[in-house]
Amino acid sequence: MSQREEILARVSTISSLPTSATQMLALANNPDAQIDDVQRTVEYDPGLVTNLLRLANSAYFGTGGAINSVREAVVRLGFKRVFQIAMTSAVAPIAQKEIRGYDLPRNGLLRHSAATALAVEYLPKRLSMRVPDATYTAGLLHDLGKIVLGTYLEINSAPIVIKAYRESISFEIAEQMVLGTDHAEVGAALLEYWKLPQVVIDSVRWHHNPNKYPHEDKTVVDLVHLGEHVARICGTSSSTDGMNYSVCVESLDRLGVVPDVLELVAADVLGSLEEICSIFN
Amino acid sequence: MQLTVGISEMKVSTDPKDTLITYSLGSCIGVALFDPDAGVGGLIHCMLPLSRLDPDKAKKNPQMFTDTGVPALIQTLLDRGGTRKRMIAKVAGAASPLNDNGMFKIGERNYVVLRKVLWKNEILIAAEDVGGTVARTMTLHIQNGKTTIRSGGKENEL
Repeated sequence: MSQREEILARVSTISSLPTSATQMLALANNPDAQIDDVQRTVEYDPGLVTNLLRLANSAYFGTGGAINSVREAVVRLGFKRVFQIAMTSAVAPIAQKEIRGYDLPRNGLLRHSAATALAVEYLPKRLSMRVPDATYTAGLLHDLGKIVLGTYLEINSAPIVIKAYRESISFEIAEQMVLGTDHAEVGAALLEYWKLPQVVIDSVRWHHNPNKYPHEDKTVVDLVHLGEHVARICGTSSSTDGMNYSVCVESLDRLGVVPDVLELVAADVLGSLEEICSIFN
Repeated sequence: MQLTVGISEMKVSTDPKDTLITYSLGSCIGVALFDPDAGVGGLIHCMLPLSRLDPDKAKKNPQMFTDTGVPALIQTLLDRGGTRKRMIAKVAGAASPLNDNGMFKIGERNYVVLRKVLWKNEILIAAEDVGGTVARTMTLHIQNGKTTIRSGGKENEL
């Protein structure tokens, strides 16, 4: 078994999603799901109820008036938003932990994940585009492979860092050269195991290289790729990989991004990031 | 006491027991200003170069932008007994992605704007660790103005 195969095989031994998140995923795939089903699923998980009510009343997710119950949140925010909040709530405790392999302090990955999830929604708004449904979730989950490699497998990132900086190659390429795989492929394998929608899995898999995304419509993967760069502008890069990644010029062209837009989105993200992160602290 | 300076924030202190620290400087710019005679120091973490991008946000939070944040930091040090002549400026950050094709020249532009602001105020940069693709953590010790940079697991004095 190659090192890559060994790493990917370990994904199934790693912690699973909370039951409420798994049930929300099943509801997302069920066209007959009713408000009652969503409400019951949320209420099954007291932690999710707390986070849902806090996030539903935040400036970013909220709708203006106070939301006091799960049912009110489901009715007023809609299933798409409640699903996104459930995923955020499920991932936050995992993403909050320090990840030694990537020199990410406590809350480091959570901030980066939340900043990317916000950027992938603000970016299309600034471009007057519709925000595709899967974008937030793909942005939120794009770097979970770092938890697998950096915490569970305790990789030694020193040779990867040296290779990336000495040879001026993008960090994920150095990971591939040293490990036979990279955090994007490992993250996609984890999301496949968790049964996330295919568009989320594929966008996470190719978020460093959107041109390899295997479908014609590359909107989601382009948004995640650029959203992650914006998240780094917002000061959420770790000290191991820093900003040592390439920018896909075709993603900029396909979305029609001009320089000011990225700066405006960075300012938008920073305005919402503290509020979202503080809910989980 | 260790005081954390968040993104688009600044902190100023005259307490020699204080250490000011800012994390994850990527394309953002970090400026540590210290007046040894007045014993006052400050650290700022600016995200974007020019406030004209979004004047409303700049009004609410001048520290978000280099062209409004750094003058605010200088002014706060002046208010706390510092003088421009004695101020020692140390700078870190201004990194860029690998193949920066102009879209992401935020780090470089942050640095250019900073130099202009410091030049206007007749403050020279005493030391800097800028550019490249690395993320940096910057620390200023109010006791003596010692400034350190942590990057890639190593810490060095600036």
